[in-house]
Amino acid sequence: MHMFNHLARFRSSCSVAAFALCLGVSLNLHAADSAVQVQLNFKKASPRGVEELTERAILRDYRFAWTSIAQALEFNTLDPLEGPFAGDAKRWLKQSVLSQQQAGLNQKYVDQTHYVEAVFYAPEGDVMELHDTAEYQLQVSDGGKVIHDDHAVVHYVVLMTPAADRWVIRLLQAVPQF
Amino acid sequence: MQRLLQVCVRVLLGVACLVGFCRAQDFQVPAAVSAGDEADISTAGSGKATFHLIGPGVSRKSELNLGESIHLQAQDTRTAGDYLAIVCSSTCRSGGFYVSAAKPATLTFLVHPSRVPVAQSDAVSGVALPFDQFHNLVLRPLTVNFQLTAGNVSLSSRPVLTQNGAAWFRALSGKSAGLLQVTAAVDDLSARRAVQQVASDPCNLRITGQRTKVGITVQTEPVRDCAGNPVPDGTIVTFTATSTNGKSSVDAPIKRGIAQAQMLASGATSISAASGVVMGNEVRVGAQQ
Repeated sequence: MHMFNHLARFRSSCSVAAFALCLGVSLNLHAADSAVQVQLNFKKASPRGVEELTERAILRDYRFAWTSIAQALEFNTLDPLEGPFAGDAKRWLKQSVLSQQQAGLNQKYVDQTHYVEAVFYAPEGDVMELHDTAEYQLQVSDGGKVIHDDHAVVHYVVLMTPAADRWVIRLLQAVPQF
Repeated sequence: MQRLLQVCVRVLLGVACLVGFCRAQDFQVPAAVSAGDEADISTAGSGKATFHLIGPGVSRKSELNLGESIHLQAQDTRTAGDYLAIVCSSTCRSGGFYVSAAKPATLTFLVHPSRVPVAQSDAVSGVALPFDQFHNLVLRPLTVNFQLTAGNVSLSSRPVLTQNGAAWFRALSGKSAGLLQVTAAVDDLSARRAVQQVASDPCNLRITGQRTKVGITVQTEPVRDCAGNPVPDGTIVTFTATSTNGKSSVDAPIKRGIAQAQMLASGATSISAASGVVMGNEVRVGAQQ
């Protein structure tokens, strides 16, 4: 009987711990997502104009992609890269995570703000090019010790293509200027 | 007073660091690197330090003796983008540099649609994106030659300069049904796609009809589009018979260029035909004797 009480108490503790973990993870995701600010401008997109629904989808998916990059590179996990990326962008992001794991490094992107302009939208709507001027605080840690902490302004050339249920990033290439 | 002293000591240490210690780990990153090129980062000073390289697809850490240069292998700089070099001894210092795309090695070429009716304006479009051998987008302006060929006849050819790494075109489809070859070329690189051109909507639909023992047989003349291309088999032609008994319709697919149907009507009947938005002529067939 005594043993059953212990088991019940253990189960109850596990449930509370699992709930707390889930709550923690969901809060963390929300916090990470809300930390990514994206301002999009589609006025210069040509030759095809961007439909309103597409604008909303791009905003949602681009923001989510950066949330995923931040999570993957901070926690050195590949899972966040599964949905929002394809092709070469996915390949090098995965390589980054794997090599960070090996070297014991991680990167933290804090207070991200992205000023994004669509500069090309293919006639048939199958590829869109974005220019993103991203600002964030980049922290690099080696074994938990911060070795670099700096405010960065980086220009990214981005290619996005439509997938089954979202727009995915196929190319994410930093350049000195546009 | 003690607090003031502490602040002064910190300031002095800070100045000493800037002037002396930090100089002991000065280093210089390359000004510009092309993807896949080897490069060197020179360091100054003496003593042991740790070097970190962080870039797209690469994160590595190694020990170094200050004063020696760090050699970056070709595999470290394969992906274009921003790289961060960090050298740590007593303190850490960092410097960034960019790796740009190498010369174009492949062309991504998207062409739409795969099947197009003839003589349609702005019906064929294509986008070409040049990439280097490491799959980095080449952003410097390049001239892409787009060429459309049907059989051995060149329909159009135009050079287009890439803007932000992309060049595109829109073109009229050809006049004859058959394969349309679309080619994009940059110097000795080229990519080819094929578009099937098919006949457009039927033009001048003409029918004939004659009474038989069981009703009326109606058939079209060979159905062609306005450019004279035979309309593909399977295209539906709707025959409508109107008589004193009422109206009836039959859908018939084109087979070997002709659509044919058998209609049941005993009295005087007028028959018309339509396919898509095109109406044919009307024929009158007298009552059964």
